[in-house]
Amino acid sequence: MRIAVALGAALALFMAAADAAEYVAIGGGRFASVLPADANAADVAIAPFRLRTEPVTNAEFLDFVTAHPQWRRDRIARVFAEQRYLERWQSATALGDRTLPSWPVTQVSWFAARAFCVSENARLPTWNEWEFAAAADATRADARSDPAWREAILGWYARPSASGSDEIGGSANFYGVRDLHGLIWEWVDDFNALLVAGDSRDQNDPDRLKFCGAGALNLRDRENYAVLMRVAMLSSLKAADTTGSLGFRCARDIEVKR
Amino acid sequence: MNTMLRACAVASLLFSTLALGAAADANRKSASAYVHGDFGPPRGEPIHAVLTTPPMVPPPTGRNYPAKVIVELEVIEKELPISEGVTYMFWTFGGTVPGKFIRVRQGDTVEFHLRNNPDNKMPHNIDLHGVTGPGGGAASSFTAPGHESQFTFKALNQGIYVYHCATAPVGMHVANGMYGLILIEPPEGLPAVDHEYYVMQGDFYTTGKYREKGLQPFDMENAIDEKPTYVLFNGAEGSLTGDKALTAKTNETIRLFVGNGGPNLVSSFHVIGEIFDRVQQEGGTRVQENVQTTLIPAGGASIVEFHTEVPGSYVLVDHSIFRAFNKGALAILKVDGAADKSIYSGKEVDSVYLGDRSEPNLAAVTQATKAASAGKLTQEEQIKAGQQLFTGTCSVCHQTSGEGLPGVFPPLAKSDLIAADPKRPIQILLKGLTGKITVNGKDYNSVMPPMSQLNDDEIANIVTFVLNSWGNPGGRVSAEEVAKERAAQTAAKPAEH
Amino acid sequence: MKTLRRALLFALPLLFTGGIPPRAADLPGESIYHLPISMVDQDGYASALADRRGTPQLVSMFYTSCPYVCPLIIETMKRTQQALTPAQRQRVGVLLVSFDPERDTPQRLHEVYQQRKLDKASWTLARIEADDVRQLAAVLDIQYRLLANREINHSSALVLLDSEGRIVARTDKIGEVDPDFVASVQAALRSAR
Repeated sequence: MRIAVALGAALALFMAAADAAEYVAIGGGRFASVLPADANAADVAIAPFRLRTEPVTNAEFLDFVTAHPQWRRDRIARVFAEQRYLERWQSATALGDRTLPSWPVTQVSWFAARAFCVSENARLPTWNEWEFAAAADATRADARSDPAWREAILGWYARPSASGSDEIGGSANFYGVRDLHGLIWEWVDDFNALLVAGDSRDQNDPDRLKFCGAGALNLRDRENYAVLMRVAMLSSLKAADTTGSLGFRCARDIEVKR
Repeated sequence: MNTMLRACAVASLLFSTLALGAAADANRKSASAYVHGDFGPPRGEPIHAVLTTPPMVPPPTGRNYPAKVIVELEVIEKELPISEGVTYMFWTFGGTVPGKFIRVRQGDTVEFHLRNNPDNKMPHNIDLHGVTGPGGGAASSFTAPGHESQFTFKALNQGIYVYHCATAPVGMHVANGMYGLILIEPPEGLPAVDHEYYVMQGDFYTTGKYREKGLQPFDMENAIDEKPTYVLFNGAEGSLTGDKALTAKTNETIRLFVGNGGPNLVSSFHVIGEIFDRVQQEGGTRVQENVQTTLIPAGGASIVEFHTEVPGSYVLVDHSIFRAFNKGALAILKVDGAADKSIYSGKEVDSVYLGDRSEPNLAAVTQATKAASAGKLTQEEQIKAGQQLFTGTCSVCHQTSGEGLPGVFPPLAKSDLIAADPKRPIQILLKGLTGKITVNGKDYNSVMPPMSQLNDDEIANIVTFVLNSWGNPGGRVSAEEVAKERAAQTAAKPAEH
Repeated sequence: MKTLRRALLFALPLLFTGGIPPRAADLPGESIYHLPISMVDQDGYASALADRRGTPQLVSMFYTSCPYVCPLIIETMKRTQQALTPAQRQRVGVLLVSFDPERDTPQRLHEVYQQRKLDKASWTLARIEADDVRQLAAVLDIQYRLLANREINHSSALVLLDSEGRIVARTDKIGEVDPDFVASVQAALRSAR
């Protein structure tokens, strides 16, 4: 009897492990972010971290709200997610035909995304981490100055937003991460650190009373529309907001073995 | 006597000082009321603004008191035709490019609601040039998809003003069509005219060439280099031509609210065949009269008025003329009515100026493109499309009858040159033709430039039309054949050196 | 019995995402007191954010090493208080939370408290954990970014919570009293009766 239970537990663990999301290690280093480290426009230093290779899917999020019902759309506190939270799902507990299990989950708020990542022993990536991983194309770590990289991303912005989105599992970039571009916008942990004013033309005229230490606000590399638009998008959001093209993936710290 | 004089002097001094002071006060009061346009708090019930789709303009407010006006505008990202067989992903205020026309009165309090449609991908906001306040409203209206922002402003200055999206990167949002006009009427209203129309110029940047078919993406490099693919009135070629032309009758007054959304180019706005009786340059209060061509800055607007005397098609252009004929900056005002020979007696030069725009819009070309992309293009469809293109490009010299001009331009009708080699027209269109040739027994020695503005499918359709007209041998040509011929010519060029 | 069971049902899965305050079941959905944030104030006294439920609160965020705006925030909050009657002033809590838990220890907060002569009856300067700083700023719609030179870029706002913890007003006006905001405080006090 005990053996059966033990075997059952081992099987469950095995299956859970097999279903567990894949994370890859990303080396980090010094990086020329569009958001400078301080008023002298220095590069930022990024510690090594692990990043989920794929965005969180509808199926995975469904498992999450089943296990944590306070995050169901019929139970969630309004302070954590606005009315459109998971609106396209057929019901609070079922996906329905309009949202396929393998599509990235969208219409999730920042609080909900965070809670999911915590449930997976992870967190949301920071903007710098996301930007670092997303700067890569298939063969290079930093492809941002390549017009082809920019054009491909701008091409996605030009396509109409479909009622759901496409399947995950696009081609992997230099780090082995998929779907950072061309599929969905993604939450970052410090989405409210981007400090872009609502009127994006006065980046050179910081209102010192509005933003303490406003000298560090200038965005670098204004010609890189592909990245600018992502910053603008995240800056327009509040923590409880959701949109039809906004999803997320998680990141993990790298344990320093002593 | 002296004391009385002195008393009078003092009194008159006192009086004049008081009078001056009062006058100055009155001046200051009325001057400030005029300059600042603050006529006090809104009166009456709040009004929901009537917003119109271009080229229509809302009716005058007809009010003589300030009111609260509620404006609700929704941003919609949608794919729309930009030319025949060519589509583009526009970002629009209210579903059109330019966006809806807003009309209020000086002194009105405007409660502005900006919605961002939930199916959109991008955040958007709005900067109205008629707003006195930070960013023209942009700071208060930054809106994520599926959300709505609201802000309120008082329309202090009268005039015609541009509004546009100001979200980073601003250039791209404007280049995708996010602009429109808001008219803030003077307190006494504008004088009545027979027709008011709304026209707005914009430059567009695509990775494909002019009239290259299919969904064209935005090209950032071209936009930064200020090299537009299209320069258009009201967001599309043919938006104001053919059956969509503006209309009027003779002996009517026309007022055009003309804006320039940019993002880059300044417009040299001119109506061929008309002179502007009144121009509010740059949309300001001073009026200039008897103007042929007026400059409209990017992000600016103007009001022009003129009176129609003679019937005909009047062509609105950007007089930087290559934009009109090679990039699409062309619109038509069709005036009907009795001719007045005392003012103008000549015939119309439709085919030279208007070319393919003198006919109803190139519906056959759109049809042919659709069929071709489905793989089902028929010869009939090619001939119809080719005919429309021929009228615009070739008929100027070769005439619509194909008979050419004796001694100058060779005929295409029952041409022995074509009969000898039905594929020769392809090469001629691609390479041009200079030097002496003999057609139907007559000599011609002229220069035909290569038609490098034509695409493969356009050449294929034109040649198919020519082969099947005026007693020529018939047959059809495919876009692939033209492409092969074009490639062969490019490869052969170095050998000619 | 039913409420207890409901509370337990509620509490059990929440263990995965942190503890919950009591009576959460009848807290309005828009209340920020749903966030399980613990604070330590300038006297070292520990409490939960949700303990402030019951009276309207004036909330903002700052850090003590802030060279420019933060002293102004404190000034503005003081002046906003002064715009109320003494009776009203007693019924509004003032809470200022630090962006910088690393440097703003309770001792440091205590120093600032003394320096600025803050009123003991209503003012609290609080330190919360770094992860909670991000959450509180997000829910209050305040932006901030830590710079490499240890300065913090941040937006400034005064946020008014009603007695149930819902955000009912906010002002970006720093350095002057916002009359509309004061009116909202007074309205919140009236409905809290």
